[in-house]
Amino acid sequence: MIAELRSIPSSDVVKAPQAVPLLSVDGLKAYYKVKLFGIDREVRAVDDVSLKINRNEIYGLAGESSSGKTSLIKTIAGAIRPPLRVVEGSVRFAFKDGERDIYKLSPHELSAIRWSHLSYIMQGSMSVLNPVRRIKHAFADFALPHVSAKGADFTRLVERHLKRLHLDPAVLQAYPHELSGGMRQRVTIALATICSPEFIIADEPTTALDVIVQKGVLSMIREIQQEFGSSVLFVTHDMAVHANLTDRLGIMYAGRLVEEGRTRDVFKRPLHPYTAHLISSLPRIGDEAPKKGLEGSPPSLADPPPGCRFHPRCPLAIDICRREAPPMVEILPGHRTACHVAQADPARVRPVA
Amino acid sequence: MRPNLLEVEHVNKIFTRGGFVSRRVNHAVNDVSFSLAADKPEVFTIIGESGSGKTTLAGMILNSLPPTSGQIRFRGKDLREIRSRRARLEFMSHVQAIFQNPFDAFNPLKRIDRYLFSAAQRFTECRTSEKAAERADEALHKVGLSLAEVRGRYPHEMSGGQLQRVAIARALVSNPSLIVADEPVSMIDASLRMTVINLFKKLRDEFGVSIIYITHDLATAYYISDRLIIMQKGRVVEGGDARTVLAAPQHPYSIKLRQAVLSVDDAWRDSSFTGGMPAIAT
Amino acid sequence: MSTLRILRDLLRYNGEFAVGLMLVLIVLAVAGCSFFSPYPPMDVYVVPPDVPPSWEYPLGTTSRGQDVFWQLTFAIRNTLLFGIVVAALSRVISLLVGLISGYKGGWVDRILMSINDTFVVVPLFPILVLFYFIMRDEMTWAMLAIITALLGWAYDARLIRSIAMSLRTREFTRQAVFSGMSTGKIVFQEHLPFVLPIVFSTTMNNINWSIGIEVTLSVLGFTDINTPTIGGMIYWANQHTAMVSGIWWWITFPIMLVIMLFIGLFLLAISMNEYIDPRSRLSRLGGQA
Repeated sequence: MIAELRSIPSSDVVKAPQAVPLLSVDGLKAYYKVKLFGIDREVRAVDDVSLKINRNEIYGLAGESSSGKTSLIKTIAGAIRPPLRVVEGSVRFAFKDGERDIYKLSPHELSAIRWSHLSYIMQGSMSVLNPVRRIKHAFADFALPHVSAKGADFTRLVERHLKRLHLDPAVLQAYPHELSGGMRQRVTIALATICSPEFIIADEPTTALDVIVQKGVLSMIREIQQEFGSSVLFVTHDMAVHANLTDRLGIMYAGRLVEEGRTRDVFKRPLHPYTAHLISSLPRIGDEAPKKGLEGSPPSLADPPPGCRFHPRCPLAIDICRREAPPMVEILPGHRTACHVAQADPARVRPVA
Repeated sequence: MRPNLLEVEHVNKIFTRGGFVSRRVNHAVNDVSFSLAADKPEVFTIIGESGSGKTTLAGMILNSLPPTSGQIRFRGKDLREIRSRRARLEFMSHVQAIFQNPFDAFNPLKRIDRYLFSAAQRFTECRTSEKAAERADEALHKVGLSLAEVRGRYPHEMSGGQLQRVAIARALVSNPSLIVADEPVSMIDASLRMTVINLFKKLRDEFGVSIIYITHDLATAYYISDRLIIMQKGRVVEGGDARTVLAAPQHPYSIKLRQAVLSVDDAWRDSSFTGGMPAIAT
Repeated sequence: MSTLRILRDLLRYNGEFAVGLMLVLIVLAVAGCSFFSPYPPMDVYVVPPDVPPSWEYPLGTTSRGQDVFWQLTFAIRNTLLFGIVVAALSRVISLLVGLISGYKGGWVDRILMSINDTFVVVPLFPILVLFYFIMRDEMTWAMLAIITALLGWAYDARLIRSIAMSLRTREFTRQAVFSGMSTGKIVFQEHLPFVLPIVFSTTMNNINWSIGIEVTLSVLGFTDINTPTIGGMIYWANQHTAMVSGIWWWITFPIMLVIMLFIGLFLLAISMNEYIDPRSRLSRLGGQA
């Protein structure tokens, strides 16, 4: 078993830990507090999450619909509106021109770092682009306040940016409905990256797209990341996308980060039973082996089970799992997991069909 | 010889929009034909991207939309002849539907069990509420649930996977011979998806239900289908045995579609291991 | 959840509701007093005329020798009843038309909506006056209520139809169809709860609107002046040039009472809307819309 673990190449590929990662999330707790006609509800959407994202990498975040990944990226982007509240923890960016603690910024400072330092690519491109205005107006509306160029200089800047992303500047004259879904999403990405942001949050950018155009949009994101040396936080529930795109991968379950490591390591050697199941149950073309779904359902975040939140569905659960929440521990180089069983003996967690 | 379970013959659906001046014609389904045998239950998959006409086709098979031309026959009977409420109820007891979004498939303000009871009372001989409850329980057991778990509960109290299983049970109440499932797992979380997919296999193998599975996802199609057709802009571009077609597609569009599928296995095959830089950046 | 608990919650957590309820209760109490009136409503010269508000006649007396307070109790009762009857009738029509039109679509929708649009564009006030001139003595209180209700449903039917149309495309509607539910069951069991907030708030607004119509018509003398109403009181006050001769109490108190009713109903409408709205109801249940 040990030999098998060692056979995974490590030191040369795991990047040397950088002095300061671009993004550090520490002990973040973000809850939804709903108070309606005397009924108080607290939904612990993000519960004690810590992670670091280095410069020049694509960090993947995977999780199901109620795993808290959306709330996590909202807090990272500083878009916290009631009823969502940050209860504890910090989100710090180390931008080239100085460090920023996102919760200590004034709304004015926050909007100053948006676009130029921190950018957001959303799922629905139609909601970003105004259907009755040409694309060029979208660029003017969103990007003009954030760049120094004006007038013809600005147009030249936009055109240069589009060309760099292999887009025809003619799209500027088009209306959103004249473009295909894939092209619209490319335009939104171009829009979000015009200021060469250091940090890009991509929230399910390809989920609404047809399979045929998905690959093109993904490679565009990869190219932008390499061109600008930015970091990308890429969120999707689609494990195949993670396998093909991301450098490191974090898995969320019921508001907690349960596993994190190099994407390849996570896929080849998952250290959390949940991840192990996710990967082994993926249907693949050419694979006829029967796959099983996971018993049970994700817990309610308003009333999560004690101990490890995965234990009611976990085939490996032991006594301690029901009592104590496992901490995130680095078991292999650069590969952390929050699982009592894996921490005692990593070999026990293995993909099960 | 018994007539085929379902025959779709040269079916067209044309939507026209706009007034007299600017008339826009959308040929949503263009000359589609296929048939399902009566005595051989199978999972028949319709693969298509958005705008391929797959959902329109499903609507016509379910008799919710009339075809512009061509004929759809269920057990030899033209669906056009099914007009009266009685005939429609009779048809629905044989041909059932499962929808895409389990979170929207049940009225959020109503209890889930009402749909099961309604189906039992309308489609079967169970007139009393006790008989209907028995029938609902029976159907729920087929999907691994029981009435005790579902009774009196509201949709928001259940997960997407559970809701979709209740929806399948609801469709099973009348013991249909054909179920049309339009993207039934695209909104379901990964950990629960295979439970639902496996259920379709079980329906085919144990209860002899034929399933028309409509999807854009080639991997699950490969996993459960017996036969499939691939649609593009309303036309069937390729069809046949599922494994054969997906292993070696012939039509240029099918080839493109097959190549676009991101595979976990291929992710590292031709990458040079440099920080996980994958094969995608071509 | 029991009605009592809903009431308690609303009173505790919703200031608008508390104020609105108080105002409406005061108006109702005044209307309730009519049953204990010492004088029949139509009798004149039962008390000395033109007495200002005093201990004996708290709201004064009219030039026709009627006690303003007791007169007011009858007037507000009839006016309120008029509003409620009109609102109830017109709600039934707008619900039927809106829900069925929106759910059925096609030719049913086209026919119902062309009728609907006719009622939307018909000029309301001239029609009512016209009816008065045609019917004269047959224009009783009940007749006026029916005519007003027939003229007052069209806008809200359109509103309800737009909601029903979006509900029709929801998957649970198809689920209901494939569960064998009939049109009536789908419309009145599946869809009705979603339009109830609209029905409630439009009920309040419709009561206000129809009371406004009634008052206006009465003031102008286009109604049956033999039934005491708020408008009727103002009509008689004007006939006796009450404001000019300084009998301000004859006109001020009816107007104050009707304004209290307006505000009370309005506050109730907005606060109950928040409570009944499916989205806030769902978040109380713990779900998501």
